[in-house]
Formats: sequence, structure tokens, C-alpha cells
Amino acid sequence: MLVAVLMCGTVSMAQGRRGLRINEVMVQNDDNYVDDYGKHQAWIELYNSTFAPMDISSVYLTNDPAQPKKYPVPLGDVNTEIPPRQHVVFWADGEPNKGTFHLSFMLEPGKDNWIGIYDANGITLIDSITVPATLLPNTTYARILDGEGEGAQAWEVRDGSNEYYITPSSNNKIVDTNNKVEMFAEHDGNGVGMAIMAMLIVFSALLLLCLCFYAISKIGSKVSRSNKARSQGIEPKGLTKEERPDHDSGEEIAAIVMALHEHLNTHDTESTILTINKVRKSYSPWSSKIYGLRELPRR
Amino acid sequence: MTFNDFIANNFYQFWALTGFANCTWQHLVMLAVGLFFLWLAIKKNFEPMLLVPIGFGILIGNIPFDTTAGLEIGIYEEGSVLNILYNGVSAGWYPPLIFLGIGAMTDFSALIANPKLMLVGAAAQFGIFGAYMVALALGFAPDQAGAIAIIGGADGPTAIFLSSKLAPNLMGAIAVSAYSYMALVPLIQPPIMRLLTTKKERVIKMKPARAVSQNEKIIFPVVGLLLTCFVVPSGIPLLGMLFFGNLLRECGVTTRLAKTASNALTDIVTILLGMTVGASTQASEFLTLDTIFIFALGFMAFIIASASGVLFVKLFNLFLPTAKKLNPLIGNAGVSAVPMSARISNNLGLEYDPSNYLLMHAMGPNVSGVIGSAVAAGVLLGFLA
Repeated sequence: MLVAVLMCGTVSMAQGRRGLRINEVMVQNDDNYVDDYGKHQAWIELYNSTFAPMDISSVYLTNDPAQPKKYPVPLGDVNTEIPPRQHVVFWADGEPNKGTFHLSFMLEPGKDNWIGIYDANGITLIDSITVPATLLPNTTYARILDGEGEGAQAWEVRDGSNEYYITPSSNNKIVDTNNKVEMFAEHDGNGVGMAIMAMLIVFSALLLLCLCFYAISKIGSKVSRSNKARSQGIEPKGLTKEERPDHDSGEEIAAIVMALHEHLNTHDTESTILTINKVRKSYSPWSSKIYGLRELPRR
Repeated sequence: MTFNDFIANNFYQFWALTGFANCTWQHLVMLAVGLFFLWLAIKKNFEPMLLVPIGFGILIGNIPFDTTAGLEIGIYEEGSVLNILYNGVSAGWYPPLIFLGIGAMTDFSALIANPKLMLVGAAAQFGIFGAYMVALALGFAPDQAGAIAIIGGADGPTAIFLSSKLAPNLMGAIAVSAYSYMALVPLIQPPIMRLLTTKKERVIKMKPARAVSQNEKIIFPVVGLLLTCFVVPSGIPLLGMLFFGNLLRECGVTTRLAKTASNALTDIVTILLGMTVGASTQASEFLTLDTIFIFALGFMAFIIASASGVLFVKLFNLFLPTAKKLNPLIGNAGVSAVPMSARISNNLGLEYDPSNYLLMHAMGPNVSGVIGSAVAAGVLLGFLA
């Protein structure tokens, strides 16, 4: 059982890290985002696409599929825990001694840059992206929607304009309203659509339960009927409804018994055996009244 | 500064911190509301288990104090004791615990014996969506309208759970409104039931429910959970706990757990939930025009829900053979309010025929109403969160 629990834990951990995504990349940073040393460096933004905090220590970042363990995210840094649906930026400056978020490799402008994240085993590829060689300085290659989509169609080039804004350590798509609520407000202003849909769902859920229990009660009564018939030495097949042993309801049986009692004034003789079993209670000082109650001082 | 000045200064500062110095008419109104709730609960015996904690909570939450003094005593002040207790409401984990207790307390036999009664519980949920439409017409945003409309489900924990997700700013008013109307069910429902039924319908005698086997009782929570949550996964917190509590009760091997869930745990959570919901009605947050709308909408939702339950039974009867007709007086029980609304069906039935006991029949729609309102909450959460 312990092994099973541990395995489940490992699996769920791996599943959690599978939610890690490369979200935005800048290959040549001339006058954009500045690192904690005041320098312009290439950067890679990672995104926790899950709804739970994610500790990314011991995952690997690399720019070479042949060397998946190029940069292990260090252990013991509280900042490597990414809050749900949040981001973290790594600097691709080839200077890992500067701190946790400074990678041991650099990105090369003018070339295709492959970037990958590997899980702690160095084998499982969590996410990867090839940033095109055509990416201009101070532009980024970013997911259109944070953490969503696969392949090149989920990505776009951002030049920092009002429409294609660059967002290191922040959402690529800024959401200022609840889309679902907006949609209902726009298309179902009077609530009729919601009422119809919701009532249909409520009815279908309970109808499903209702049908299921009709079926279960039918099967249950059929099984108990045949068991009852067999116990009375009757073959259940071919019996009419009236002949079935369970045809009498509880009320009917009670009425017959009462009628017999009234008519014959009889009562079945009970076996008059009294059984007295000794109830053993194991003594425990924890439940003892002597220890539980405060003793009064003796005069 | 002289010694006298020092003493006077401190007294003045102390006075500035007292309730007398900070009292406004809004505080007095809310304190009166709290006292009214206590009176209803203690003198009129209206849902005392709920109204005493809520009423006293209103008193606690509306003691005037200087909110700028940083005393960390208000329910909305981060880190205060009340704020910590309020987390169960604001984060929505008290309601599922209450549902665990409800599951452990509820005998679903009546429903299992007559599964078609589940549809009555579904029909009564129309109160929620009727109120949703009116709330939209009054200018509430869809998520706020959904949170307010759930009052029609007549299920306090569900209302708190949903409003904590969809409209946390309205939660105090929604919770107080839901619990108030639940307490007032004996006054609200009978006139509607009388209005919508004929004398002949009120004396319909229903066939006694068949005995339900232990196996069926054990299968019910498992199948119930799987079916309802596959349809509405967003209802998992409520439905999961409801059915889990019921399995503890019915499986026969966890009697101790079922007892704890249905007694001690439910009592503890009810105390904390009621008190903190009451305390959350701070005058500054509570006394607004929205609150009046919420109370009006809640009342309307209750009426629509009760009426739609009764009318659905009447409609259902058109398709049933004479021997299997349902008494429409059990329709009101489709709004959850367990077991109060079922008791009302029974009392009204007895009024017209002293030998017509409807309690067990009404328990069917009553508990299906609990499931129905949790499903409806899941639907609203799924659509609007």
C-alpha cells in the first residue's frame, strides 16, 4: 500500500510538472527588460499552467536536445516555486554563478534556437520550442494564450507595439473581464438561455439517477425473488405474478397474522432460552475514572 | 504634559475606541436585526439551530469599533480571529462539511423506493432560474444574478458555497436571506400549496413506499456520485461530500464516522458557519440597496420554487394511472430545506385528511431537492465562474 501511495505521489508530481510551459522568449535583448544586475540579456519565460503551486527545482533547461541536463534548476531556492498560473523569467546569459535564474547557456541571434525543459530524470521532455532565426532584436517569440496550444500556430512574434506587447514575467494575454460572464451578458441578457440549459442539465442528471435506480431496484427485486423461490424449493422460472413468493406485501402478511391471532387466539411458542454473555472490557488507564476525576482533599 | 492631561488624554483615546463613540444608525439597525433573529429563534422556535448563531453573529459583527485603529478584531481584517474563522465561509469549505453531515443524517430510502420523485426535486429548481432572470432584469451581472438566484434552492450551505465563488461581496446578504427564508418556510409555503391545489388533490393517498434493501442503500451514494458528478463535475465539493456522508451511514461498517459526521462535526461547523455568516453582515457592507433586492429576489425565488414543485406534480399526475397518482402537496418539498418542507407537506395533508401521512413521500422530493440544488449550483459555477 505504501508503495502504491508513493507511486501515486510520484505520478501526480510528474503530472504537475507536465503543466510547466515555455511561454515567451527574447533572443537578442538590446534595450528591453533588465536583469537583477542591470544588464540586458536574452530571457526565457516559463509559465505554470496548472492551478496549483509548482516547484521547478531539479528540472532541466537546455538549448541542446543532445544535452538535456545542461542547466539544472537549483534546489533550496524558495523562488523556484511558481504560484498557480504565474510566470518566472530565466536569463540566458551563460553565467549560472549569478544566481538561480541565470542559465548556463546563451541563445544565438540569427539562428534557430531550440529550447527544452526536461523533468528531474533528464529524460522526460516537458516542453520545447524552436525560436525562428528570423526573430529580430528586442522582439519576442510568445504564446498567444499563456501556456496554451501546441506547435508553431500557438506562437507569435511580438514587437512591443500596442497590439503585440512584450510581457516578461506577466500574462501574454491580459484578461480584464470574465469571458463567460461577458458572453452570458451579451447573448443571454434575459436569462432564458441559462434557465433552459441549466434546467435541462438538472433534469437529465436526476433523470439519469432515477432511471438507474429503477433498473437497480428491478434487478434487486428479481434476484431476491429467485433467491426466495429457491429457498422454498420452487423453480422461479414460469411462475405467474400471483404465484411468486414475494407477492405478499408486509402489510398483507401483518394483516393475515393478526387475523389468525384474532381467530385462533394463538401465539407461537418462543424458545425460552436466555443467553447471558459476559461482556469483557479491557482496562485502560486512559479511560479510568480514578485518573479522570479530581480527588477531593482528605481532612 | 501634566499628569492630569495625561489621564484625560488616555480617557479620551479610550472613549474614541468604544462602541458608543463609533456607533452609527446603521449599526443600530443591524443590531436590531440580530435581536429580531434571536427573538424569532428563541420565542418563535424558527430554525433555532441556525438563527441563534446567525442572530448572535450579527450582534458580534456589528459592535461598533474604530476600524482605523488596526486592532485586528473585525471579520474583514486580515489575521483577526473572526477573519480566520470566516475563512471557512470565504474559501467555501464549511458548506461541503455541512453536506457531509447532511449525507450522514439523511435516509434516502423514500427516494430509492420511488425514484420518479427525483424529478420533483429537479422541477423545484426552476425557482433558482426564475430568480436568475428577474435578477438580470434588475441589473445584476450574470455571476451576481446566479449567486443570488441560488437562494431559491433553499439550501444555505449551497448558497454560501456558490456566492463565495461567484459574488463574494454579496455573500453575507445572500446567506442571511437564504437562512431567513428557510426559517420562514412554514409561513411561505402553505398559502402557495393551497392556492395551487384543489381539495380533491390534497386528499390523494399515495401507495406506501416499498422496503428498500441495504444493498440499494449502499449502491445509491456510489452511483449517485458517479452519475451526477460526471454530468456536473463542478458540483463535486458538495455532491461528493453529501454522498460520502451517506455511504458512511449506510455501509454499516463506519458507524462511528457516520455518527461523528452527523452529530459533532455538523454541530461544530453549524456553529462556526452561522456565527461567521452573521458576523459578516457588517452594517457598512450589508445595508445597501443590493441587500434589499437580494431579499426580495430570494423571497420570489422561494415562491417560484415551491410553486413549480407543486405544479410539476400536477403535470406528472396527468401521465400517471389513478392508483399511482402523487399528492401535489409533496411538490413544495422539492426545495431542499430538509426536513422542514417535507413536514409542511405532511401537516397540510393531515389538515385535509387526518389519516393521510405524507411525510415519507415528501422526503423523496425533499432529499432530491438537496441533490438538485447542488447540481444547479454546479451548473451555475461551471457556466459563470
